[in-house]
Parts: sequence; C-alpha cells; structure tokens
Amino acid sequence: MRLSRALTTNTEGREGASRVAPLLSSGVSKGSLPGPYPQTPEERAAAAKKYNLRLEDYQPYPDDGKGYGDYPMLPNRSQQERDPWYSWDHPDLRRNWGESMHWDFDMYTRNRVDTSPSPVDWSTMSKTLLGYLGFMLLMFGLGEVFPMYQPVMPKQYPYNDLYLERGGDPEKQPKPVKHYEI
Amino acid sequence: MADYKEAPLASRPKTLDPAEYFNLSPEYRRAEEERAAIRARLKRQYQMQLNNPLRKELIEDPALTRWTYARVHVLPNFKATPKTSLLGGLFGVFPLFALYFLFSSDRNKKEQQIKDGTYQRPYRLSY
Repeated sequence: MRLSRALTTNTEGREGASRVAPLLSSGVSKGSLPGPYPQTPEERAAAAKKYNLRLEDYQPYPDDGKGYGDYPMLPNRSQQERDPWYSWDHPDLRRNWGESMHWDFDMYTRNRVDTSPSPVDWSTMSKTLLGYLGFMLLMFGLGEVFPMYQPVMPKQYPYNDLYLERGGDPEKQPKPVKHYEI
Repeated sequence: MADYKEAPLASRPKTLDPAEYFNLSPEYRRAEEERAAIRARLKRQYQMQLNNPLRKELIEDPALTRWTYARVHVLPNFKATPKTSLLGGLFGVFPLFALYFLFSSDRNKKEQQIKDGTYQRPYRLSY
C-alpha cells in the first residue's frame, strides 16, 4: 500500500477494502518519501532535491529489479572514516540532521563494519596472515604425520609383574618375569 | 607506502589522496560550495528547531524516515529479472530442497542402522 494513496481519500475501485487511515499525521508530505526509479530528468532533479543532494551527486542504484527504487547510491564508506573533530549534529553517529543515509547505514556504524584505511595495504595484510596460518597448519600437519618424542617403553613392575597384588594364587609358583638382559 | 592499493574495506588515507593536492579547478570549488550550502541549510533548520524554547516534541528527521521507508518497501520496486530469479532460486529454493534431502537421507540411514542393530550409541539412553 503506498503512503501517497493513503493520504488522499480516494478509495474508488477498491470495493470490499476498508478505508485505510493515514499512517503519519504531519511532517511527511506526498513527495518526500522514496519512490520508484526516476525515468525522466525532471524526476531525477526532484529526487535529488528530495534527498538533499546536488543533481550531479545524485546517482540512484541501477534499475535491475532488486528493489532500491530511487534511493541514492552513496559511497560505501563507514562512519568511522568521518572527521571526528567536526561538530556533527549526532556526534556518536558522525552524521548531520537531514543528511541522506546510506542504504547500509546500520552496517557502517562505528560499532560494525569499518572501511578506514589500513596501515599496510590489503594484499600485503592478507598475504602475511594467510602465509602465517598456512605455515602453522603445515607444520602441525607434518608433526602429526611424523611424530617425534623421547623413546619410551611400557612400565616395568617388580615381583613378577606384581603377581600376588594382581590376585595371583599364593600356592602356585608364578612365571618368572625378567626385565633385564646381561 | 607509495604503492598503497585500495580495497573495499580499506580506503585510501587522506594524505595519500591525489585529489587533495590537484583539485583546485573552479568547477570543483563550485561543487564544494553547493554542497556546503546544502549542508548549511540543513544545519540551520536543525539548530532552529533544537534551540526553539517553545518546542515540546522530538525533532523528526525526514532522512531517517525516508531510509526506513526505503528499507521496508523493497517489494514494490522488485522486478522478476533473470538475475533476481537466479538469486532467489539459488538462495531460497535450492537450499530448501537440498537441506530436506540431506537431512532426510542422513536420518533414514541412521534409522536403517538402528533397525539392523549396527548403530553404536555414543550416549546411553537410560541407566
């Protein structure tokens, strides 16, 4: 249901449908909500004005049916990148009142995804990390295949391998167990 | 550092941005002036509302309203193109059937093993 249709009171052609009350009382005029993809240059200019962008800066998402409509495509940069010393209207979000929000604004907040410049460039970082992880995995794998430890033997017990302690018959003579060789 | 390459999650630092040093043309300056004018108009609107002593209600942000509206009303702008159909099939239809067949075959195998008596229970059913 489109909000613009709700704000007008025209309910002809919708027999059986009850009249839907407007969702918002004031402050939202008919042309100020997002609409479909702008086809004509006038629609583009109106959309740029609606989103508080310059006509040259306004770039809608391509019209391939994914559902963006005329929402502007802003650069994919996180809020963490914005100047921390400028006097924003909302300093925690680093945003001014009335400024068009990025489609993924909730992803680009300072608690979440960050696109700030990295100290070294991305390929060097990935190569270093993956190289280190790969090397450790390789070495641990090799250690499983070729184990190396101090030579060990099963434990040797005295008194013919503890014959009496293990419940052997005291009358019978146990088999003599010799743990040494001379 | 001169060969710093950008990535989707790592933008170029401002000190390495060539636009900082070379962008002094009048067109660029005019564009910046227009952007500053828009920003100043919005700032003024906000500050007038913020510092109004007779204001009792919350200041409503139309950009926020537009953003929430746009995020919710994706279906009216949806079109069934080959790309969207492929994505829908790949992420919606295929996992549904694939997981059904995976789970059902795995469980049937286990059921058959229990019936034959070859299944080793990892935990006791009772004491």
